[in-house]
Amino acid sequence: MRYITLALLLFTAACTKAPQVVNEVVAVGSAKLPSSPADPAWNDAPVHLAKMIPQDLVEPRLMTSSTPEVRVRSLTNGSEIAFRIDWDDADQSDMPGPAKMVDACAVQIPEKIEKDLAEPQMGQAGKRVQVTYWRSDWQATVNGRGDTIRDLYPNAAVDHYPFQAKPLEKESADQKEMALRYAPARALGNIRSGPRSEPVEDLVAEGPGTLAPGPSLGSKGKGEFGKQGWSVVIIRKLPDGLAANQRTHVAFAVWQGSKQEAGARKMRTGWIPLVRRDQ
Amino acid sequence: MARVYNWQLGREMSYWYPENRPQKQFAAVFDTNKCIACQTCTLACKTTWTSGKGQEYMLWNNVETKPYGSYPLAYDLKLLDMLNGQQWNGHKYEGQTIFESAPAGERVLGWRPEQQDYAYPNVGEDDCAGQVDHGSFLSLPHMNWFFYLARICNHCTYPACLASCPRGSIYKRQEDGIVLVDQSRCRGYQECVRGCPYKKVFYNPMTGTSEKCIACFPKIEQGIQPQCFVNCIGKIRLAGFISKPEQARPDNPIDYLVHIKKVALPLFPQFGLEPNVYYIPPIHAPVSFNRQLFGPGAADAMKTYRNAMNDPDLSGLLCLFGSTENVVPHFRRQGDTVVGSNGKDELVRVPLREPVHIRPAVDPKNQLIRINCP
Repeated sequence: MRYITLALLLFTAACTKAPQVVNEVVAVGSAKLPSSPADPAWNDAPVHLAKMIPQDLVEPRLMTSSTPEVRVRSLTNGSEIAFRIDWDDADQSDMPGPAKMVDACAVQIPEKIEKDLAEPQMGQAGKRVQVTYWRSDWQATVNGRGDTIRDLYPNAAVDHYPFQAKPLEKESADQKEMALRYAPARALGNIRSGPRSEPVEDLVAEGPGTLAPGPSLGSKGKGEFGKQGWSVVIIRKLPDGLAANQRTHVAFAVWQGSKQEAGARKMRTGWIPLVRRDQ
Repeated sequence: MARVYNWQLGREMSYWYPENRPQKQFAAVFDTNKCIACQTCTLACKTTWTSGKGQEYMLWNNVETKPYGSYPLAYDLKLLDMLNGQQWNGHKYEGQTIFESAPAGERVLGWRPEQQDYAYPNVGEDDCAGQVDHGSFLSLPHMNWFFYLARICNHCTYPACLASCPRGSIYKRQEDGIVLVDQSRCRGYQECVRGCPYKKVFYNPMTGTSEKCIACFPKIEQGIQPQCFVNCIGKIRLAGFISKPEQARPDNPIDYLVHIKKVALPLFPQFGLEPNVYYIPPIHAPVSFNRQLFGPGAADAMKTYRNAMNDPDLSGLLCLFGSTENVVPHFRRQGDTVVGSNGKDELVRVPLREPVHIRPAVDPKNQLIRINCP
């Protein structure tokens, strides 16, 4: 009985072990990268508490501070790097609409490892940064939300869409082609405008206002909303040239939809050292 | 911010970008006195451009009843309230524009409508300014009044939507001054929705981008007026191109109405955008109300319009409204006829007065008495 009690105590202590807090983001080696934020594999990674500041360099600025910090853990399998980003958020905002912003976060890493760092806010001309961006409404889409107006407004009444009228056959190529005429952003291939299989996108920037679709980094993501707020996993290609025990830098940004944050109105960190520890 | 000249204010003002006027500027004149709010323009636009998913609530063209109508709700009153009362000194604006009164951290003074604000496109429809008491009768000016205000994007010379976009996703075409949202570049931050004082940019929740009136540019490129113009039952609209005041051509219909006769006025010029849709103000509405909507030229414009019957050039030009689907760059009056042309070929010819045909009550050939009832 004594041994059982002792074992239980040890088990409980192990379960409630406070995570190791580190002053830089440490990407710990892991054969398998967890795709879910709830995966216990994250317990092996130390946590970095990254203080956030409002974006106040370019208009429109965020004039009221919101998210104070993000809690970041990182793992790497040698070819990809995963981040779990947690932040406190009282409201789950994942329904887009007029004046309805959605929760989001982003990971920013310099395209090249060099001494002279790019500006921490979106890089600068000649010093490109890679941004992997996750959004809560995309997560809802990946989780199964449909691509109709009733998925956003359940009581919506729609008389007629021209592309659903006879003689066009449902789901036919002709119907899809006609539907695109009424969704110009989709017709033009705007990567943020259509149904999607991943809740993240890969972007590049060379300064504020220059964010653009970038080469694919094979990014994946998954976000879950819990009692405390969001917990989001973002997996992307390991930064070029980041060997074991080497450093680059990383920055994070968070948008709270309930606080009307979008685009330049965001909370962000400065550059934080990111070290790869394969163990 | 740069310093630019806004002729509607009679002064320089601050704007996010330097002055860069297009080679030609799309413009329009709407005669509010002829609008019957049949909403045919609204439907013509709706069926042409905004029948897609996520566009259900969008009205790139709408017609609202003034004084109480507005779409989205109170779009005008909210901003007027935020500007908190400003002053004209004659034809010079001494108040602050939405660019000059931008709060710290913002590019323009603006606000973003909530979803509910789009839920009542016909609020105030046909409601007049006051109660019509028992025993009231019609008199001029009307003791109680309302009028219809048809609205599209103003394709402003200094667009607030364009200034608001931190990504430069909105651009003004050099060839015709039409303001467009680049649908491949927009990331749906809704800054343009917030910035446009006329609230003529709309967020599409299905594509995640913002969309707006495109002035039917594929038609304009063909020299044809937009859908909401050619379908107008009341023939209240005329599309064309406007010159700078000092370059106004008397044979350009838009220049003639705006710069020479000064009978057509911009909507809320005090906001500072130099909007390019011009309105002939309603002559039965109070001058004070027209002045708030259309600026200090309202009283003179009303007087000019009232006198149009004695001004054959003006009344002749007003007859060209809705007479052809072509954009009419030139017009001239020949006696009792007004002629529209493209500079080479005649596009349309309209009599100042339609011929009157009197049908006698007795048909002598068939020995019939004509009656008026079916």
